[in-house]
Amino acid sequence: MHFRSRKASLVARLALGSLLLTGCKNGSVYGYESDLSSVNEVSWHLWRGAWLAAAVVGIFTAALILWPVLRHRRKEGDPQYPKQTQYNIPVEVAYTIIPFIIVAVLFYFTARDEAKIIAKEPSKVMHTIDVTGIQWSWQFGYQDGGPNAVVTGTPAQPPTLVLPQGERVAFKIHSNDVVHGFWIPAFMIQIQNLPGVTNHIEFTANKIGEYPGRCNILCGRNHSQMVFKVKVVTPEEYKTYVETLKAGA
Amino acid sequence: MTTYAQPPVTQIKRAPLPPTSKGRLFVKWITSTDHKTIGYLYLITTFVWFLIGGLLALLLRSELARPGLQFLSNEQYNQIFTMHGTIMLLMFATPLFVGFANVIMPLQIGAADVAFPRLNMFSFWLFLFGGIMATAGFLSPGGAASFGWTAYAPLANSEYSPGIGGDLWIVGLALGGLGTILGGVNFITTIFTMRAPGMTMFRMSIFSWNVLLTSILVLLAFPPLAAALLALESDRLFGTHIFDPANGGAMLWQHLFWFFGHPEVYILALPFFGIVTEILPVFSRKPVFGYKGLIAATIAIAALSVSVWAHHLFATGQVLLPFFSFMTFLIGVPTGVKFFNWIGTMWRGSVSLDTPMLWVIGFLLTFLFGGLTGIILASPPLDFAVSASYFVVAHFHYVIFGTVVFAMFGGFYFWWPKMTGKMLNERLGKIHFWTLFFGFHITFLVQHWLGIKGMSRRYADYLPTDGFTTLNMISTVGSFLLALSMIPWFVNIWITRKTEPVGVNDPWGYGQSLEWATTCPPPRHNFFSMPRIRSERPAWDVNHPEAPIEGLH
Repeated sequence: MHFRSRKASLVARLALGSLLLTGCKNGSVYGYESDLSSVNEVSWHLWRGAWLAAAVVGIFTAALILWPVLRHRRKEGDPQYPKQTQYNIPVEVAYTIIPFIIVAVLFYFTARDEAKIIAKEPSKVMHTIDVTGIQWSWQFGYQDGGPNAVVTGTPAQPPTLVLPQGERVAFKIHSNDVVHGFWIPAFMIQIQNLPGVTNHIEFTANKIGEYPGRCNILCGRNHSQMVFKVKVVTPEEYKTYVETLKAGA
Repeated sequence: MTTYAQPPVTQIKRAPLPPTSKGRLFVKWITSTDHKTIGYLYLITTFVWFLIGGLLALLLRSELARPGLQFLSNEQYNQIFTMHGTIMLLMFATPLFVGFANVIMPLQIGAADVAFPRLNMFSFWLFLFGGIMATAGFLSPGGAASFGWTAYAPLANSEYSPGIGGDLWIVGLALGGLGTILGGVNFITTIFTMRAPGMTMFRMSIFSWNVLLTSILVLLAFPPLAAALLALESDRLFGTHIFDPANGGAMLWQHLFWFFGHPEVYILALPFFGIVTEILPVFSRKPVFGYKGLIAATIAIAALSVSVWAHHLFATGQVLLPFFSFMTFLIGVPTGVKFFNWIGTMWRGSVSLDTPMLWVIGFLLTFLFGGLTGIILASPPLDFAVSASYFVVAHFHYVIFGTVVFAMFGGFYFWWPKMTGKMLNERLGKIHFWTLFFGFHITFLVQHWLGIKGMSRRYADYLPTDGFTTLNMISTVGSFLLALSMIPWFVNIWITRKTEPVGVNDPWGYGQSLEWATTCPPPRHNFFSMPRIRSERPAWDVNHPEAPIEGLH
């Protein structure tokens, strides 16, 4: 009876574990969703892979640290000191080469994925938006709508960045004063707004919804008020929105 | 097997000290050129800075416990985290290395003092007054510097950050930095020219090796910082345009600052890796495993550390990502080697968990996790997700606090009898360790999730709807537990101050490096007699000549 209940609890725990690993929507158990943007589609897999590798290395190393602490503890009746070993060349070679292989593999995937994220694909870009950091809010200029289609926020009234679902957008990143950081956490992307430099990123937002965006480089007194909202809408709604801005301004 | 001559007499009773008064002691200390006294001045002063920086951290954590501004304004919050970072890195951790190096390194290489004793004291005054100057901004009308310890241009110029607080910060750090540079010169010269007969480079203890490599890094990293700071002050004071964005100043500052800033991380880490490497073999009763490989790994880390600064610049969009990513990943290899050296030292040892060893185990587990999140951050795509967030805050506290503070307390408990002649209390030491260990992990583990959830670093406030409240509250509670751990520490110092002196050279019984072959505390010029130095553990050879390192004889 006792045995059976333990077995049952084991099964339940295994089921719960697999539910956690597979059942969560879009892999958000890893902290990010796998498909929110074209960046997530690349980075989420690297994020998961890196964490799994880190978990294996971490648990293995922690076990190796704790093993002698628990098993090679000094006990009553032990000889005064153990064998005075200092070198073991095969072991030393192994623990130099194995970490090298691990980081080489990690670097391969990093280099491959990083190239995808910073790639410029002018043929696929459908819209261009200027993102300007100003102490302490954001200005979004929709180039489709001409010079009038500009939205400027204030610390008290953070602006909204409207993006069309499924269409690749190029962002021109500027700063009006000091360094700011344009960061959309859910999309796994950020880039600095550098005064005197125009930065460039491109990505596609995949799912309709609202996501917070924040400045993440200290920019002075009201840094923590320098937030914005990303609103992903259908391409039609986006078009209408830009037209309204163009006409209304 | 070789036979050994009886070790020379090492237990010489100290003559009673002449009568003294507090005033005489004070004058003696501030006019001293004894490396040990100067080292104690450094250790005491840095610990005071640690407490000040810690109090500032408690203010930050209290402010962040709940959404909404509790008792600080945005501007005050910015000043406090700027000074918290500055104090902890440049007035606590960096000079703490100088303190330990001063006290221990000459003993370990068998020198009577450092090469330039008066320059040594001069460095201390530069550090003390530089630090006071940078912090004195709090007393000025505009408050202390508030542009972050990284002082990014153009935020740190006089247009965006007017006020004398910024100027005091810049000049104070330049002054303190000069002290650090002179300290580095002193240590390098001492190690190269003043080792005792028989103390070859490859018989030198790992701590002294790490002091040497750290000092070389100081000479590479601190002059660019001094140059950058003075150029920044010139922009502020004389209206030059060195860091003007119109001529690329925003990037120039980031490059110069991190060309200092990344080696600085290793300037903080290496000496404390050294302390850990001193403690492990003593409480495993074995030699350091892979001694030469460990030195090679440390040299590799030091060399790589000057080629990775731009991984702090991944999100600028202005650096060659694969190169700096690869170099950063590569640092993981010698760091991994170090871990296996430490594990190998304990492996099949006779491990006893005295308080110093407990701190080392705490360090190993904490730094392991900090290292793994470092590998994550070394990958630009993942850096784009979590850079400049609380994930980074958590990462660098795991690395720096995990190394500096854990190893510092390990070093204090380990060398306390050497420095004072008194043993600290074991039971209070263990209470101290466990309170700090849980306090630390409760404070900083949750901050990884805060970063992933999207909390930026250096935010004075957040919204109830952000979903950061619970994790921030946990972190704040942890920080107060962490602060409480100072109570058993001070009680420990107080109640053991008049206990019976240890009376022997090596109270731990299995000391290895040379400092355990002289009295506790050592005499003015360190050694009444010098033992023969025929391996990297001369003190062990004196006490246990029947048990040399396997394979060497």
